[in-house]
Amino acid sequence: MSESGNGVEVEGIGKSFGSVDALRDISFEVGRGEVVALLGPNGAGKTTTVEILSTLTRPDRGRARVAGHDVVDDAAMVRRSIMLTGQHVALDEMLTGYENLVMFGRLQGLKKPEAKTRARDLLREFDLEHAAERRVGTYSGGMRRRVDIACGLVVRPEVVFLDEPTTGLDPRSRQAIWELVATFKDAGIATLLTTQYLEEADALSDRIIVIDHGTIVAQGTADDLKERTGGTFCEIVPRDPADVQALAEALGPLLPEFSRAALTPDSDRVSLPAPEGPRTLTAALARLSAADIELADIALRRPSLDDVFLALTGNAVGANRAEPAAGEVFS
Amino acid sequence: MTALTLTRPIPSGTQQWWVLTARLIAPTLRNGEVAVGVAVSVAATASLYIPLNRLMDGPDLQMSSYAQYLVPLIVLQAIAFASISTAFRAATDSVQGINRRFQSLPIASLTPLAARITAALYRCVIGLVVALAAGYVIGFRFHRGLWYAAVFCLLTLLIGLALALLGDTLGTKSRDPAATAQWLLLPQLIFGFLSVGIQPLHRFPEWIRPVVDNQPISRLVYALQALAGDSAGGVPPVTWSVIGPALAWTVGIMAVTLPWAVVVYRRRT
Repeated sequence: MSESGNGVEVEGIGKSFGSVDALRDISFEVGRGEVVALLGPNGAGKTTTVEILSTLTRPDRGRARVAGHDVVDDAAMVRRSIMLTGQHVALDEMLTGYENLVMFGRLQGLKKPEAKTRARDLLREFDLEHAAERRVGTYSGGMRRRVDIACGLVVRPEVVFLDEPTTGLDPRSRQAIWELVATFKDAGIATLLTTQYLEEADALSDRIIVIDHGTIVAQGTADDLKERTGGTFCEIVPRDPADVQALAEALGPLLPEFSRAALTPDSDRVSLPAPEGPRTLTAALARLSAADIELADIALRRPSLDDVFLALTGNAVGANRAEPAAGEVFS
Repeated sequence: MTALTLTRPIPSGTQQWWVLTARLIAPTLRNGEVAVGVAVSVAATASLYIPLNRLMDGPDLQMSSYAQYLVPLIVLQAIAFASISTAFRAATDSVQGINRRFQSLPIASLTPLAARITAALYRCVIGLVVALAAGYVIGFRFHRGLWYAAVFCLLTLLIGLALALLGDTLGTKSRDPAATAQWLLLPQLIFGFLSVGIQPLHRFPEWIRPVVDNQPISRLVYALQALAGDSAGGVPPVTWSVIGPALAWTVGIMAVTLPWAVVVYRRRT
């Protein structure tokens, strides 16, 4: 066991490939039993971060400790403490699912009978018994991913890295992996997962680190991040779009100057910051009914993580940029 | 769930080496790799010996039979074929990303390579045994006794080792199993046919003799013919001037491959 309370501690790591700074001064921590999502577009530096933490790539600058062991000076101990699932399933396709599990058990020091028992148990838990004796090469994407992760759990990891674990999976397999992440949390394992999917980061993680162009642009809970892009607002839609100006007048001091300035002749609704939530909404309703303006809709809205991401990086999450990741530079 | 109950044992390097070797060997028995390896040696023996036997045999061969003359080349082509399989396998592992996964496990960095080389030697042993068995059928015999036969096999396995390292590095670097295997057929064809393994040097046109005489396959054929011996006494003697160049080529291939291998494995795996 490590002497440190944290699963992952990253202090100012950086990595360059040639003249490209893949990572610049990244610092964060992942506690035991905590799930942290590294969220960012392709080429943001997510995979490079995971590769450094799993000892596949050396950082050029900074320090990182995983399960209490330095990733550069004590790589061997780090490897004994982690499970890594990369973006691409890495199994021996010539072997069956069962044989892969036995192999990974034996590679991590289990005796043959132990490794076999463990393989059977994991096949049952991952609902793969029916495919146990088939070559992995014949599996579907979801099945491969499940075996891939199962192979990482043959012995108990202290820290789990999941690099885009659900990319390309059908909804059922994705759900299975989401459930698995919850069990990691319950087992006190530190989990760092990377994803391009906002709803995944939102659903799975305790904290989100937003990364773009190799730097951290924001971190916090999903709620924190949503709060940072202006927080809750009240959206008011008049029945007659021509009433928008009158509506804005009626709101009086409730509507700040910048919101008023944002209105254009084409606006069909008014967005009102609602720092006090329902109370702001009630106050607005009172003013509008006094002014006798008929409404089509009035509701409290919270910014989606998509809004957050757009606000933080100036890019939509889906927008891919061509920037080399660690694996591509050497191609 | 019980998925997370076991604690980490301490892995032993020997066990890891054996597990990684077994993973490479086990599929060869059921995916036909061994069967093809056997078939290739048998087919090469038949398809070289049957059409060429009458054509090549003659007093200027200076040996008791064409079989005795030909088998060293058949042994070498079996070894070359094994190295192609090794390259294919290395490229497959490289492209499937399992090398990277092994790197994130507590496995010493040279263990996977050691396992792949062990599996390559296993292929070489199969190739050698089958080639010798097929040679026995057409009339090949060891005439110098057990020790020289053993050195014959060791030299064969040594060149097998050098080619395995070369094949493994090429495959790991290329990440394209099919293309690697096809490219490797080319040197095998050129060096195999333009060698003294097919016919004696003096039967080649004069202008190409320096190349034929000195290229690695020829030098290895001279050495293997010498080590196997012959009842008619037409084989080269077992001297350093015969064995030395074969050894030099083998060591040379390794010496060139090793530094390149270090670069490739550092980056790739």
